[in-house]
Amino acid sequence: MVLQVSVVMAFAALAISFWFLQIVQHARFEEMAASNHQRTLALRAPRGVLFDRNGKVLVENRQSFSVSIVREHTKDLDRTVRLLASVAGVDVSTVEQIVERHRGEPTYQPIVVIEDASLSQVAAIMARRLDFELPDVLVQQVPMRQYPPGAMAAHLFGYVGEASDSQIGEGITSGAIVGQSGIERVYNRLLMGQDGARRVVVNSMGREIREIGEIPPVEGRRVQLTIDYDLQKAAEDGFRHAGFNGAALIMDPRNGEVLTYVSLPAYDPNDFAGGIDRATWVSLNADKLRPLQNRAIQGRYSPGSTFKIVVATAALEEGLVTPDFRVSCGGGANFFGRYYKCWLRGGHGSVDMRHAIEQSCNVYFYTLGNMLGVDRIHKWAENLGLAGKTGIDLPNEQESLVPSTAWKQQRYGEKWYGGETISVAIGQGQVSVTPASLAVMISTVANGGTRVTPHLIRAVDDGGGWKIATPPAVANKTLFRPSTLAALHEGLWMVVNAHGTGGRARIPGRDVAGKTGTAQVISNQGRQAARGTDRDLRDHGWFVFFAPRDNPEIAGVIFGEHNEHGYLGAPIAKHVIETYFAKKEGLPLPSLEPVPVPAPPPVPEADPDLTPIDEQTPIAAAAGATTAPGTN
Amino acid sequence: MFERRLYHHVDWGLLIAVLTLCAVGLAQIYSATGGWTNIVQTQIYGIGIGIIALLVALSIDYRSLADKSHLIYVAILGLLLYVLLFGAVRGGSRRWIDLGSFNIQPSEFAKATLALVLAKFFGDSRRGIVTRVDLLVAGGLTAIPLLLIAQQPDLGTAATLIPVAFAVVYVAGMPMRILGALALVALLAAPIGWKFALQDYQRERISTFLDPSQDARGAGYQQIQARITVGSGGPWGKGFTEGTQGQLRFLPVAHNDFIFSVLAEEQGFAGVIVVLGLYLFVILRSIESARLAKDRLGAYLVLGVLASFTFQVIYNITMSAGLAPVKGLTLPLMSYGGSSMIATLTGFGLVLNVRMRRFTN
Repeated sequence: MVLQVSVVMAFAALAISFWFLQIVQHARFEEMAASNHQRTLALRAPRGVLFDRNGKVLVENRQSFSVSIVREHTKDLDRTVRLLASVAGVDVSTVEQIVERHRGEPTYQPIVVIEDASLSQVAAIMARRLDFELPDVLVQQVPMRQYPPGAMAAHLFGYVGEASDSQIGEGITSGAIVGQSGIERVYNRLLMGQDGARRVVVNSMGREIREIGEIPPVEGRRVQLTIDYDLQKAAEDGFRHAGFNGAALIMDPRNGEVLTYVSLPAYDPNDFAGGIDRATWVSLNADKLRPLQNRAIQGRYSPGSTFKIVVATAALEEGLVTPDFRVSCGGGANFFGRYYKCWLRGGHGSVDMRHAIEQSCNVYFYTLGNMLGVDRIHKWAENLGLAGKTGIDLPNEQESLVPSTAWKQQRYGEKWYGGETISVAIGQGQVSVTPASLAVMISTVANGGTRVTPHLIRAVDDGGGWKIATPPAVANKTLFRPSTLAALHEGLWMVVNAHGTGGRARIPGRDVAGKTGTAQVISNQGRQAARGTDRDLRDHGWFVFFAPRDNPEIAGVIFGEHNEHGYLGAPIAKHVIETYFAKKEGLPLPSLEPVPVPAPPPVPEADPDLTPIDEQTPIAAAAGATTAPGTN
Repeated sequence: MFERRLYHHVDWGLLIAVLTLCAVGLAQIYSATGGWTNIVQTQIYGIGIGIIALLVALSIDYRSLADKSHLIYVAILGLLLYVLLFGAVRGGSRRWIDLGSFNIQPSEFAKATLALVLAKFFGDSRRGIVTRVDLLVAGGLTAIPLLLIAQQPDLGTAATLIPVAFAVVYVAGMPMRILGALALVALLAAPIGWKFALQDYQRERISTFLDPSQDARGAGYQQIQARITVGSGGPWGKGFTEGTQGQLRFLPVAHNDFIFSVLAEEQGFAGVIVVLGLYLFVILRSIESARLAKDRLGAYLVLGVLASFTFQVIYNITMSAGLAPVKGLTLPLMSYGGSSMIATLTGFGLVLNVRMRRFTN
């Protein structure tokens, strides 16, 4: 009896155990069984294709192979890592670091260890997989971003990269590829698309048995940019031809559509698409020329003589003077007990507004500046779009600075001195602006007072066809008096077409108008002190322009880094403008003749933008400091 | 030898239940191994030979067999020694005698042999009580094959000899206090055994049993997978050949040690209850045979055979549910394995033998 009872009790205990497992906890175990043998593989969505304004493809996607480790059934992760690294010919420690970074994630989530694997790597890995040596390694075909060759418009497009910890959330999962800079970053949501998924049955070795279902990935939105490929190419060719770095922002002054966006030197966004390797990243960061800096919106420089346009506008619109107001320049003038020189030693004689712009006469603008006072200059700089941010749809824009009494009080707790206004009047002192803001300023002057917001998106294909993107609101609208407009346009036209400094941008019949300027890198006295160091102390050159003079269609800025003379940027502008009109009229696009053998001109041209304000030590030195490369 | 009237005393119920379990096992092996493989064929041969062995064990009077028990015992010891010296090595242990087309695992036959020799020893004793000398003799008879098997090493099978000895000694009238003393000794010996007698992998298995999640990829893996397999079966199961756990090999050697898990996954709680019921019927029916046995020899023999069978069934099913440390213990009648099948069916031949001859002299 004892035996029977104990056996029955043992079996009852077994039955109860099975009841608990199979009935009470069934749901939990069923789920575990499902996750055991079903695996969800993410199908990366291709990012949206970027087109230029004429429908030419700028940025697209290509197929690439990515190699990942799925730890779900891995018994010896170290062995897998070592074997994979040796099979694929990559550094073990690199793979280990990647795996370590993702260690906390669920084990079924693949860890991508090699992006954009080569065909030979894929072949070697697949051979081992079939031998069951690397069952936990997954090779997937994924779309990868492809940018135009030659690092074209690199800072405009930006680059993509694996989402950082702070970017994860709101639909962005760990390991997702997101835009890290430029348009890729600002419009990441549009471009990212929606990853799909494949559910497959795998066996205990991780080998795929069959597919259960697939949610296809949704490609990112196709986006049409305002950029014109041919103009972009013309500008970049122009810089290459001229042989210096810098920035350019050229747009349609009527609506703020950016046609060309250049920042040089650039990086190749393709290097980032497959996960940038350490060496490239380190060298990009260590490069003295700072290729990662987006100069057009992040570089701040003294505007030099281009600022005279602001002072002229302010004086005319405030009603202080008429275009016929004349000043006699004798090579310099006294203000607040000090003598300020004009660049032309003998002086310009008696000049009116138009000729003062054409000749870039310092004394004329000292006088206007003195009449205006710094606050009215600041007000008009703001109206024209030169102060603050332009509002362009790119990340990390720097603010341009045009001083005012309030600003100085707030910043330094000091009173503004009238003498400082005199240097501000010719774009020196503490004026410090980005190339983008100068482009907005010249556009506002070109269109007669409407401060447009530069923008980069023209249309978005939301899946149901192209929808024109709503352009950003006009930032400010001040209708210039007709006389103001006429005088400014006339003066700026004369810079290029009469006896001014912009002759290199002259195109017969196109009525190009413009103004050169020089951004001092360091004051004359600082130059003495810095002699012998390896800093590049050569000045930067500006060229702002629009065309044609009446009803301008294209306007912008060429910034030449350490090119010493603003007029050296004019040929770049000329090439872009010629390309613009040739394209508009269906003519063959102009091309630049091969780079000529550099033959320095026998007699150096007198550059009116080089202002000899030797006495301005403290302020000029401060300006030099803010414009020195490396401080912004 | 086989008298016609004996035919009427065959326990048909037991025989049918035993053969049904064989059939259920065969079906689950078919499912777990993914169809008509040579594993299924081997199992069919095993069942066939087993039935012949059962008939042979049935037809010879158990008393004549018991008279020859010492010879059988010595023969088995010889085979075990042979295995230790010349056996085929598989999976790190030496358990098989390689006969070309198939292998024999002598340790499986040691169980029934030990039952026979102990039944004979205590059945012959007329004293009705168990003396210390008797205990020492019984202990010795058990220890020799046990140590030989443990040396292979095959601790699982070695352990199944202990219930045989205990069952026979217990029904032979061993006082409870000696049983208690033995239990105490075993308890005290456990830590020493843990340290010296167990291999590393065995210690690991036991410690991961206590907390399977501490090593979900290693030894605890099988435990967790066993629970998932059983639990995911639910009340009605996933259906024949529809189990994912067994078929996709999340559960190792599903057709062998974990055949009951496969059954639980595919047939659900309902199937589990039916098979548990069959096993319970077989065991209770066999105990009934022991009770009805004409002599003590018969009763001891039945209980000896039944002890290792019951121990193995309960342990394996507990293990199949992930509730016991994983040991290489098969489920008699259902698991894949020719030697096990033949030995078990031979054992039931002896059980039927005793019941069949309860009226004969």
